Amino acid sequence: MVELVPSLLRQELAALAANDERIDGRGRWDSRDIKLETNCLYNAEGSAKVTWGDTIIYAGVKFEIRTPWPDRPAQGSLMCGAELRPVAGRKYEPGPPSPQSIELGRVVDRGIRESGCIDMDSLCIIPGEKVLGVMIDIHVLSDKGNIFDACALGAIAALRTAIVPAERFDIGEDYPLAVSMTPTMCSFTRVGGRFVLDANDEEELGGDERIHITLGDEGHLHSLQKGLKGTFTPAEFDEILGIAQQRCAELANLVNSKEA
Amino acid sequence: MGGYGDVKLLRDDGLRLDGRKVDEMREVKVEAGILPAADGSAWVKHGLNVAVCAVYGPMEAHPRKIQRQDRAVIDVRYNMAPFSTSDRIRPGYNRRSREISKVTAEALESVVLVERYPRSKIRVEIEILAAEAGTRCVGITAAAVALADAGIPMRDLIVGVASGKIEDTVVLDLDKAEDNYGQADLPMGILPTTGEIAFLQMDGDLSVEEYNTCMEYNLKAAREIHELMVDALKRRYNEKNGGEA
Repeated sequence: MVELVPSLLRQELAALAANDERIDGRGRWDSRDIKLETNCLYNAEGSAKVTWGDTIIYAGVKFEIRTPWPDRPAQGSLMCGAELRPVAGRKYEPGPPSPQSIELGRVVDRGIRESGCIDMDSLCIIPGEKVLGVMIDIHVLSDKGNIFDACALGAIAALRTAIVPAERFDIGEDYPLAVSMTPTMCSFTRVGGRFVLDANDEEELGGDERIHITLGDEGHLHSLQKGLKGTFTPAEFDEILGIAQQRCAELANLVNSKEA
Repeated sequence: MGGYGDVKLLRDDGLRLDGRKVDEMREVKVEAGILPAADGSAWVKHGLNVAVCAVYGPMEAHPRKIQRQDRAVIDVRYNMAPFSTSDRIRPGYNRRSREISKVTAEALESVVLVERYPRSKIRVEIEILAAEAGTRCVGITAAAVALADAGIPMRDLIVGVASGKIEDTVVLDLDKAEDNYGQADLPMGILPTTGEIAFLQMDGDLSVEEYNTCMEYNLKAAREIHELMVDALKRRYNEKNGGEA
């Protein structure tokens, strides 16, 4: 469907930005309220529901036994995918995975993978024959802005609460998946000419480029992505990276508080 | 039906493995209006099944070839989330979900007053988050509540229910083991006010008497679930009006 965009919305957002205000009354670096629930999906081995303002996503972890890749015979695998199905909003259409949903899944995947929070060697059962595959599926149910951060939070929270169903696979007793770190994502969108944290759906509609930053423990960078049309300056990036450092630490604390 | 005759599904005391009586359904919970992005939405937990439904529209029907000059078309998508079953499901449409989507759409078209919205489309998105036998019925129940929450006029609130046969005994609302190892399954979409049937599928082996018992169980269950659906919508309506009405 063609989005009837809103030059009026852009004007309004620019006028608000000039007074350092936002359309829903938040400050520039304020996030919406976040509610995180874990172990909420019956058939998933690890799961999380994130209610981020009016955005709602579920993440579920499943395991499979598979043969290892020939070049990495003693390593398991990790895959994270996101589905932007038409349930998520009026603008989403049925069909094969859209470039947007592939970008979403891959950016979340990189943040988790590159943080090294899962030791791929630990997923090996019999070298060259049997390894564990870890699959995180993210399901967006209501997109009211900033699904990236909500999905990244749900994915790591589901992973951190996952139990490997070893008994079902006949490889011993069930055990919790070892996850050594809590990478979290913080996204910024240019709205009315300046970057803001956690844009809502109206700000995304009338805004410009976005930057996604995934930080692990000790504030190390693990995944960056710039999306949509626009450019930014190194000084702007320095500023939002500083905000992301604080914010990601808070998100990681939220995830860690949910562990059993 | 799987039909492995040697799996015991009824206990010596005549109750089922999960302790239910033959005509007892699993616990059902209904909530309306849970997805902020949707025009109408619902969440239904039926036993261990969880279905969420979002309704969008009525909106312009496109592509244009799907438009009907005299009525709305209902575009249903039934989808199981990859993590909804014990073995992960590959994302995307398959033959099973396409068939269920088609017959569900036809059931809903028979209750929604589609002639009120010529040339338009109503999108019904059913997402199964946890599957434990009977998801198509749970999806229909969720769709009815979501359509009502979206303010779309209907002749009745259609309810999805199923009965079946295990160990030569007719039982209401099969769970996963009963579905896998039982002898028959009869899912229906029932209009509880009139007792009409808008959705019907069946597989397995049933005598006419057994069918009649299934029908009786399904009608009874549909009326019970209907009350829960109405309650959920009343709660939602009160919430929208800022308190008790």
